[in-house]
Amino acid sequence: MSDAAHAHDDHSHGHPTGIMRWLTTTNHKDIGTMYLWFALIMLFSAGAMALLIRAELFQPGLQITNPDFFNQLTTMHGLIMVFGALMPAFTGFANWQVPLMIGAPDMAFPRMNNWSFWLLPVAGLMLISSFFLPGGAVAGGWTMYPPLFIQGGISYDLTILAVHILGLSSIMGSINIATTILNMRAPGLTMMKMPLFVWTWLITAYLLIATMPVLAGAVTMLLTDRNFGTHFFNAAGGGDPVMFQHIFWFFGHPEVYILILPAFGIVSSIIPTFARKPLFGYASMVYATASIAILSFIVWAHHMFTTGMPVTGQLFFMFSTMLIAVPTGVKVFNWVATMWKGSMTFETPMLFSIAFVCLFTIGGFSGLVLAVAPVDIQVHDTYYVVAHFHYVLVSGSLFTIFAGIYYWLPKWTGHMYDEKLGKLHFWLSVIGMNIVFFPMHFLGLAGMPRRIPDYALQFTEFNQIATVGAFIFGFSQLIFLAVVLKAIRGGAKATDRVWEGAEGLEWTLPSPAPYHTFETAPVVK
Amino acid sequence: MTEKRTGKYRTSIILAALAIGLFLFTLYSGLK
Repeated sequence: MSDAAHAHDDHSHGHPTGIMRWLTTTNHKDIGTMYLWFALIMLFSAGAMALLIRAELFQPGLQITNPDFFNQLTTMHGLIMVFGALMPAFTGFANWQVPLMIGAPDMAFPRMNNWSFWLLPVAGLMLISSFFLPGGAVAGGWTMYPPLFIQGGISYDLTILAVHILGLSSIMGSINIATTILNMRAPGLTMMKMPLFVWTWLITAYLLIATMPVLAGAVTMLLTDRNFGTHFFNAAGGGDPVMFQHIFWFFGHPEVYILILPAFGIVSSIIPTFARKPLFGYASMVYATASIAILSFIVWAHHMFTTGMPVTGQLFFMFSTMLIAVPTGVKVFNWVATMWKGSMTFETPMLFSIAFVCLFTIGGFSGLVLAVAPVDIQVHDTYYVVAHFHYVLVSGSLFTIFAGIYYWLPKWTGHMYDEKLGKLHFWLSVIGMNIVFFPMHFLGLAGMPRRIPDYALQFTEFNQIATVGAFIFGFSQLIFLAVVLKAIRGGAKATDRVWEGAEGLEWTLPSPAPYHTFETAPVVK
Repeated sequence: MTEKRTGKYRTSIILAALAIGLFLFTLYSGLK
């Protein structure tokens, strides 16, 4: 690989400064930075909602919220975390890293990239401001099921519009990413030489292009049911509310993989670096990622076992869901095999990655439990499900976002982060996260329903433990903010390679990466 | 690479057409 870094790259050719720089920028690094800051703001907003939820659940009875506001909190927490925090964070990584990893000067469509980002704050503002509308924010759950979603007030229309805008942003972003990967790779960088992060994002982009329009169709039908007298989902007019669930989950299950495949890519970059060994089974990782993506389209009705499905349907969706454990198992095996007999060191990115491998596997196993139709019928809509998807999305997606930021922050800022604070953030997060979510398995198995502000007395102890964990986990994220700000302001100078075992085109660039990079394409041998 | 970069319009149009097609097909499925 050639060193394509040029000192003269590090200027901005008289581009606007101040706020206009950020409003008009077409630079992938600027846009990546904005995605990541937006995601962090949304993480803290929806995290504050989670802390309110947990504070209410500290004891039985109603303390600080009324039931309707509680439902608004759970709904908005889910919507904002999925669409406002996790998805934009991974798109931020894609913006920063994909051009650097494939030796491209920028994304394929830089102006569309700017639009993709600036749609997000508009939609985010619409979602959060709906709390202040008459009747409050949406309270029908992030899944937007009718009939509740057909009956609510003006905030429901605003949320539908926000979801449309978020979907448009995602589709534009993913077309840009897929086109960049397919057309802008450096000479010699064949598909099977691409870093796994690039592969996982290519597959994720296809998933987004194939599923976000389906969600857009579903919410368009909700909108016309609400405002234009149609009866797609209104049983009173001959519509079918269960059809919404089928359409929603045809989007919703691949969405889970949209939130986890880029995480797999990040971990697959980090573990080889800190194990100082090449990734074990690269080709099998690629095929496993593609298999997971394909299978994600034929499992959607496992979210609907209680809607009254024929037994053959239940069996099909049960077994197809279990099948996903095979490629996922291949991946976990490969990460462990990469670490096997490696010269491992345990910097913060590696700690988060190892925690990911262990804890995501717990989330995967509880997913297998839920795939068993008769078990799912018992624990459907209980805290067991809440425990399951938080193990997947917190210790899965969120932990890898932290890992990725610690890993690439020196390349982005030119400064090493504070390792001691990073490790403190890791240990508080991993301990806090388990204290919040592990007891929820027991609550769910004992029958505590989700989305309920009050509960029977026998659930008190586990809820109190979970709330204490939530506050530890929530406030420890302030350490993360401090680490990031500290690294931006200064600190030990990062070397170009940053990590001893790091491989790939991005590490051939200076730290911080210049404003313009790879204007002359590097040649990959 | 220049050749590849002109191909970006073709790639993006195909992907955008796929997205619009899926959106319309979803609405059509709802009408049936």
